[in-house]
Amino acid sequence: MSVVLSAEKLVKTFPGVRALDEATLTLTAGSVHALLGENGAGKSTLIKILTGVYRPDGGQLRLPGTDGQPRTVQLGNPQDAQRAGIGVVHQERNLIPAFSVAENICLQHLPRRAGLLDRAALRAEARRCLDLLDLDLDPDLPVSRLSVAQMQLVEIAKALSADSTVLLLDEPTASLTNDEADRLYGIVRRLSERGHATVLVSHKLEEVFAVADTVTVLRDGRSVAEAEPLAEHSREEIVDLMVGRAYQQVHLAARTVAADVQPALALDHVATGAGHHDVTLDVHPGEIVGLYGLVGAGRSELAKALLGLDRITAGEVRVHGRPARIRDVGDALHRYRIGYVTENRKEEGLFLDQTVARNTAVTVWRRLARLGLVRDRTERGLVDEYADRLGIRLASPDQQAGQLSGGNQQKVSLAKWLAADCDVLIIDEPTVGIDVRTKAAFHELIAGLAARGMAILLISSDLPEMVTLADRIAVMREFAIVGELDNDHDYHRMSQSVIRFIHDGQGVVA
Amino acid sequence: MRTLIRTNEFTLAVIAALGFAALAVATDFNLLTAGTLDAFLRFLALPIVIGLAQMVVLAVGQMNLSVGVLTGFCAVASGWLMVDAGLPAPVAVLAALALGAAVGLVNGLLVIFTRINGFIVTLATMTILEGLRYGVNGTGTYQGYSPGLREFGQASLAGVPVVFLLAVVIAVAVALFFRRTVPGRHLLASGGNPFAARLSGISNDRALVLAHTLSGLLAGFAAVIVVAAFGSVNASIGDDLLLPSFAAPIIGGVALAGGMISVTGTVLAAFLVRLVDVSQSQFDINRRWVDLIIGAVVLGAVLLGQFREKLSGGRR
Repeated sequence: MSVVLSAEKLVKTFPGVRALDEATLTLTAGSVHALLGENGAGKSTLIKILTGVYRPDGGQLRLPGTDGQPRTVQLGNPQDAQRAGIGVVHQERNLIPAFSVAENICLQHLPRRAGLLDRAALRAEARRCLDLLDLDLDPDLPVSRLSVAQMQLVEIAKALSADSTVLLLDEPTASLTNDEADRLYGIVRRLSERGHATVLVSHKLEEVFAVADTVTVLRDGRSVAEAEPLAEHSREEIVDLMVGRAYQQVHLAARTVAADVQPALALDHVATGAGHHDVTLDVHPGEIVGLYGLVGAGRSELAKALLGLDRITAGEVRVHGRPARIRDVGDALHRYRIGYVTENRKEEGLFLDQTVARNTAVTVWRRLARLGLVRDRTERGLVDEYADRLGIRLASPDQQAGQLSGGNQQKVSLAKWLAADCDVLIIDEPTVGIDVRTKAAFHELIAGLAARGMAILLISSDLPEMVTLADRIAVMREFAIVGELDNDHDYHRMSQSVIRFIHDGQGVVA
Repeated sequence: MRTLIRTNEFTLAVIAALGFAALAVATDFNLLTAGTLDAFLRFLALPIVIGLAQMVVLAVGQMNLSVGVLTGFCAVASGWLMVDAGLPAPVAVLAALALGAAVGLVNGLLVIFTRINGFIVTLATMTILEGLRYGVNGTGTYQGYSPGLREFGQASLAGVPVVFLLAVVIAVAVALFFRRTVPGRHLLASGGNPFAARLSGISNDRALVLAHTLSGLLAGFAAVIVVAAFGSVNASIGDDLLLPSFAAPIIGGVALAGGMISVTGTVLAAFLVRLVDVSQSQFDINRRWVDLIIGAVVLGAVLLGQFREKLSGGRR
């Protein structure tokens, strides 16, 4: 197979960090190549070099020239990368909601005629890209009207619009459901049959093993596996390569659920302004109840309604047996001790420009204040306590939250609820975009919180995570609970049942 | 120490000191004579307080276009209360403060109930106040009011003008409010990330209303300083305060997007603007050139702020 891109001995140094240390990546036409590594291993830096965002400090990039012979190239900016045929779909959305599908796809090179936008050519080019994906979508539709999965596909169409031969996908399924992810990977496979080379960055190893042919594993900026056939490795071997030591299965704290006491949180035939109907669910102290479902099934929306961000229109919410009327988050927090760890830690969970101390104490300033004044020392003391308990790695409590790694940020976003002494915690997608080792630590942490008597409602689209953590799994579909299962921790059986609930609205009788 | 040197405040302090020294030399040390120095500080009080009035709304990511006109409005109102209504000075002072806070409160309530951008709301209230000021009062001048208040305006304590000390006390209070009090921190949290603030149990609406009310209150204080230090009040006061109100916080490193403030920076920047003003009068420079200089510095400060952002946020 012909090599369509080779990155040789790339070096990139930032003040204090050697992000890439002679990393190597070779792509062949028609392959799906997995790029794996823990957070901080250098994946993002490598992607940014391949897409012209960063210039490497050392090493070289070679692409085939017009005669097919490899040539060293310099990618000075993202436009250079596009012209070289490298298309990228970043983890974050990069679409303009008010623009049409066609306009978004062709944004970087809008066809012009006599200085004006050539609408016919625009539509034709968009059609061509959508056809590559076998996607039947109206090019004139504004992107704001699309579903998350459709937007993701439009992003891919956009990446392909510049006749890209190399497609970089960074966590493409982070916000997709299993079905949607399957569909996306079907498209990726078809593209590789047509000779495109795809680089796939994903934390979901199941997906990687299902889709990719070859793999490069980065660790501390070096390639510890270089373009090896994935079929020759087991999942455990890959994880070992990533973490650099034998990966141990998590041993979670043993728990006993006090089922005979009042549930800490109980929903009784609840309907909401967001469209939920007839939701009945309870969580006991010490219990982890999983809320599984497809993206868009209404799980986060239910959490937000419980916090008073949407109306409860029927039914009753009870906290420790007492009917609760929660008007806003302040109410949920201070009167009912319910906390919500959001799935969007950067957008909704943290004040990135502010110190870790402020981020941790934000929920308890009123309690910390003496004569109306909050002392920095009290606040720092609080941070020290939780940094210790949660294993947050900090240079100082005055460090900006935005400077922390993803895993540490997630812990800070959790810490403020622990500081507030919540006894019901709704945790939404706690390990999205978090590396394997930190993920395991997080699972231990969540189980530990439950072991100490906290009632936890866990929202997750990560089925292995659900099966690892939850005592019971409730399945939500179209804003209603379609089933509830006792978790026997047998992944195969549980996943079968859950998926049947999602597809048929009913499960196998356990 | 290294981190101190890298702060915006340190840079401003150095520039302010150098500028002051240069001006002192250029004026043959006339700047350092008691009379000139006294005037320098006396008329520094107003830009400081007006800059802070703008800063508190910037903290929540809002703007208050009405601060300048509101200052003039409150000043005229208290002049009217003393001269035409014959009320004692303390009542007029309290009325100016209350009026400022009330208009600020209205600004805030309009913003949260109409969901119209604060920029537009305060543009409207600014225009309304302007109309009211001229319509009700005309172009007349109030003077000869309370000798006590005017004495306060001219008084000095250990060689430092009392109104300047008042401005410094206000600045310290504002700094303490943001650093230490719960509502102050709520304001910064709300300005820094309204989504995270809401999910942390903080009311963004309350933060907006509080910020606008405080801004109005500070405009009230600015009015009191004007009434005391200028000795007479007419309807044109405050018209030229809008640019200085933005100049001080923006040059001082306050983020326009909200969430980040600097009281020290704002005060130092007001000092710098005052230096430019004094140079103008000392060297008889055309007034227009001063506006040009301040405008250019504001633009430069915003660009510098963006550049800083890139340096600190560009790495992941």
